[in-house]
Amino acid sequence: MEDVHVTAMLVRRCVAGDAAAWEEIVQTYNRRIYNICYRFAGSGNDAEDLTQEVFIKMYRTLPSYDASKGAFVTWVTTITRNLLVDHFRKTKQDRVTDSLDAPVSAQEDAQPLSEQIHDQSAPPDASVRSRELGETVHAALGKLSPELREAVILRDLQDLDYREIATVLKVPEGTVKSRINRGRAELARLLQRTYRQVM
Amino acid sequence: MPEHTNNGMQCQEFDGLLADAIDGILSGSRLDRFQAHARACSACGPLLAEVEAGRNWLRELSEVNPPASLVTSILASTTGVETQRLRVHAPTPQRASLWERVQAWLSGATQPVFAQTWATVRQPRFAMSFGMAFFSISVALSVLGVKPADLSHVSLRPAAIRHTYYNTQARVVRYYENIRFVYEVESRVRELKRNVQPAEPAPNEATPDKKEHKDNTTQQPEQKQERNYSQPDNHLVLASARLGPSVNDAFRKNDPSVVLVSTYRRFV
Ligand SMILES: [Zn+2]
Repeated sequence: MEDVHVTAMLVRRCVAGDAAAWEEIVQTYNRRIYNICYRFAGSGNDAEDLTQEVFIKMYRTLPSYDASKGAFVTWVTTITRNLLVDHFRKTKQDRVTDSLDAPVSAQEDAQPLSEQIHDQSAPPDASVRSRELGETVHAALGKLSPELREAVILRDLQDLDYREIATVLKVPEGTVKSRINRGRAELARLLQRTYRQVM
Repeated sequence: MPEHTNNGMQCQEFDGLLADAIDGILSGSRLDRFQAHARACSACGPLLAEVEAGRNWLRELSEVNPPASLVTSILASTTGVETQRLRVHAPTPQRASLWERVQAWLSGATQPVFAQTWATVRQPRFAMSFGMAFFSISVALSVLGVKPADLSHVSLRPAAIRHTYYNTQARVVRYYENIRFVYEVESRVRELKRNVQPAEPAPNEATPDKKEHKDNTTQQPEQKQERNYSQPDNHLVLASARLGPSVNDAFRKNDPSVVLVSTYRRFV
């Protein structure tokens, strides 16, 4: 996935204070990090803030990166994931408060996901349908528990292998596989309920 | 579920092979036994279908484009970190140089106060900062329309200098206010755009996890791992994440360009 020597050299130049090397790292990884954050946190605004935090953190801890201990992309993903856990904990308090204010869980269960998202009917155009599909899947992803969500994001959206994911999450590979399976199955259950009448 | 024992494969073994089967790397007799169990077992067959469907749904999610301003914001905030860190932690050069000898001579020849000042001035990082400051000032002046040629006509009477100073300061303030205004307008426009045609909606933030708790039948083993997301203080790395904003706070005092960036982010 990455040329180990090129990346190691880039990191060394960066630690030595080479601003161009740092910019190259930012250019190379901002898209990947932004996408992980976006899919996990759900909103573009949060993803933007989180991505910026990831890079600030990376910049400060770059000297501690040890190329012999693993790929740079795994290191970067680990930082991202740790910040996402932190973000999740911080925002959880708010969400608990919100749900106390709005006790609608029974109602919400009765309402299909598709109706929660699209309140007006869109023209039956293929590209629109595909975009709507993406929105629906994205919304369903946000309903997975964070452990299952991060597992499927890293596997199915970021294409990391099980060993890399196990390193990032600090759990055994077997646990990784099981979470990925459960995440996929759970997502399918959520979406099948949504699309039962459509398909 | 050990009662499902079909073709010599138990549900647990099936579970273990599920990910590999979906990846298409299962072959030979193991694949045959796996498929046989999927056909025969009333729990594992539907599970396989769900896992496969879920994986296919996830493939519908294409990569999204980060906002165009992201790289700029990152570089502004991180390059600021570097400047800050060097200012605080950079070690004093150890080498005895010509400067060192000049300083030794000066401290012998003049009073200690001057020597101390000189000790600061002679340090490379001070020279660098001074150079950068001079550069920034000249850029700022040229932006404000002050040409070096004009300076030769500037009256050096104290009153006139005061006048010029306040004049320039007012212009600097106006300039920064204008930039702020532009950023604000930009972010409002973006906000409007988002409201008019949401590319992908933010998930229901108020009630994201409720449903899943009810539906998730395989939740028991997860309780232990939940700790990752519910218990604070067991991740050292996580705690330092909060340095992000606090670092920004530190900049706010020193670096106007970073102030602008963080202001911009707040509005969006
Ligand atoms: Zn079975």
